Amino acid sequence: MKKVGTPEYNLQDKLKYHLSALSTAAKQVALPLNITTHYPRERRRWPDCFRGYILFDPERCISCFQCSFICPANAIWMKEAPSNRYYPTLDYGKCIFCHFCVDSCPGGALKPTKIHDVAYRTMEEMLTLTEEMVEPPEIIREDKVFVDYVIDTEDLSLKRTKGRDNLIVEIAPSQGVPMVSQCVDRASCIACKVCEKVCESGAVSSIKDEERLIVKMAIDAEKCTGCGLCVKECSMQILRLVRK
Amino acid sequence: MIDISGLVNLMIAEQVNIPLLYPIIYNFVLKIPVIGNIVAFLLGIPIIRYLIAFILWKPIFILLIIPGFGTLGTMLLVLPWLERKLVGRMQWRVGPREIAPRTRGSIQLLADSLRFLCQEVIIHKEAHKPYFLQFPFLYFLPVLLPLLFINAGTIGRTLVPIESEYALQLMIALISLMPVFILGVGWSSNNRFAFIGTVREAFMYFAYEIPFIIAILAMVILYGTSNTVGVVSAQTSWWNWGIILNPLAALTFFVAAVMATARLPFEIPEADQELAFGPFIEYSGIAFGLAYVMAYEKMYVLSAIMTMLFLGAGSGPAIPYVTPLLGDLYYAILFVIKTLIILLVMVNLRGVYPRYRLDQGLRIGWGAMLTLGLIAVAWSIVLGVVL
Ligand code: SF4
Ligand code: SF4
Repeated sequence: MKKVGTPEYNLQDKLKYHLSALSTAAKQVALPLNITTHYPRERRRWPDCFRGYILFDPERCISCFQCSFICPANAIWMKEAPSNRYYPTLDYGKCIFCHFCVDSCPGGALKPTKIHDVAYRTMEEMLTLTEEMVEPPEIIREDKVFVDYVIDTEDLSLKRTKGRDNLIVEIAPSQGVPMVSQCVDRASCIACKVCEKVCESGAVSSIKDEERLIVKMAIDAEKCTGCGLCVKECSMQILRLVRK
Repeated sequence: MIDISGLVNLMIAEQVNIPLLYPIIYNFVLKIPVIGNIVAFLLGIPIIRYLIAFILWKPIFILLIIPGFGTLGTMLLVLPWLERKLVGRMQWRVGPREIAPRTRGSIQLLADSLRFLCQEVIIHKEAHKPYFLQFPFLYFLPVLLPLLFINAGTIGRTLVPIESEYALQLMIALISLMPVFILGVGWSSNNRFAFIGTVREAFMYFAYEIPFIIAILAMVILYGTSNTVGVVSAQTSWWNWGIILNPLAALTFFVAAVMATARLPFEIPEADQELAFGPFIEYSGIAFGLAYVMAYEKMYVLSAIMTMLFLGAGSGPAIPYVTPLLGDLYYAILFVIKTLIILLVMVNLRGVYPRYRLDQGLRIGWGAMLTLGLIAVAWSIVLGVVL
């Protein structure tokens, strides 16, 4: 067994280290470097992958419920819109900003932003309704400078640039992997038609086989958006999402 | 029966000599429209004249204004602020400035003290109430009394409230009393953290007190006197300041002072992270405020003693025009500046060093510092024989 002991310093080393610590301190008092920014007059420029406030684009939403299924904090609840479609509402009182919802959204309807300073007066206000998620919240910008952290070979330094950092990230919505729903065990289908009812894009249809007096379900691979709703709802658990 | 007229004569005879003062009052202050009239009226009242004469009486002026209570009070306001700012710079966290950005947040200290004043003082059930309340106030006595013997002047211009042959011994005695009150505070708090802090304080007390006394002893041997006037006049110019003649004693004294005030490398009794302010844990409101400023007061007194023993007190180069105008005040100001520099070094050690463990602190006190102190005494004896 190897025992880790305290390092042995002789008097000379000790004096040297004390002096170097004290002189470093004196140097910093005279000409300080710093790693703090004067928020809100300056803002740090966060990378585009910053997990902040989430925007929502109803045009792209296919009401697949993926976001609300995956949310570990149970912050997303789906709410019925006048068009009878279900859209997410987001409770920032619960959200832990993991952005699993953004990652899992097949349509790219949820969009990350770099906004991290939204204030609410009450807990109820933190429940953000679908319509409030479309536009970025109103924030008071006092910043005239943004700050970048530059790591060069030995030290960290701040680079200040005049101007305002755009907090809304311009990223192409993720294309995702095109998926399609497929039945893996036709014999077990009991024709409950749940998939047909649940499908938003009308890709599932039922065909009555008059001869054998049974109903067969068919999935139109062209129409299927791969949202996976039917997979979740299937009472016999025989549907799978596969790559197109 | 007190001899009033004799006292008044004594007061008039021993005024501090500030040549600038009367010209300022007569040529400047009295000419300001409204304030001038008020001042003229006030000066017309006999009792006010006696009061001014009393304040300008040398011992009282030194004790009350500079480097006494007035300066101490200003330091208490300025020092924590300077400490925060400088440590912030050392540690790369020059934060956002939200409170009075023009003055770099200096009024934050006023807000702090106002908060201490307005907060409720909570006395918990288990505390020994009389002692719990008395000790922080009693603590002021040993902290402030050493100021009575401090000589802030220079050769030929003694600025000392009480001249005594045994000044240094009296100072040591008073300073050695301080931990007794801290022990009392910890005991009467009746709290486990306070107990641990108190015990640690007691351990550290013995570890620093002996090197501290030995360092002063070395200087007493070197100067051949323990009268503060003699100590200051022995340091004729910068090359025979105590710190040049006996740097080891200066180092020992400084480290002992840091230990005595429980500043960061030796913040063992208070140890914020583990004991949450140790002996003072149960205090709140104004009582906590007192405990908080007491550390700074102690530091001020110890730095003042260090300035006097090792940095030639108020001696320094005379600046043409300024020195003749300020008179005695100039030397007192030099003294305060030197003290402030020592204070800043002491305070900002916390930006550099982490805390020692109790055993490490004890080893340093009983080992390295005791040895250094003894070597310093030997060196003083050698110097005394040679010179
Ligand atoms: S995951 Fe995307 S597409 Fe599906 S319901 Fe949520 S927001 Fe709409
Ligand atoms: S960011 Fe994470 S916690 Fe917040 S709503 Fe999305 S999935 Fe839920």
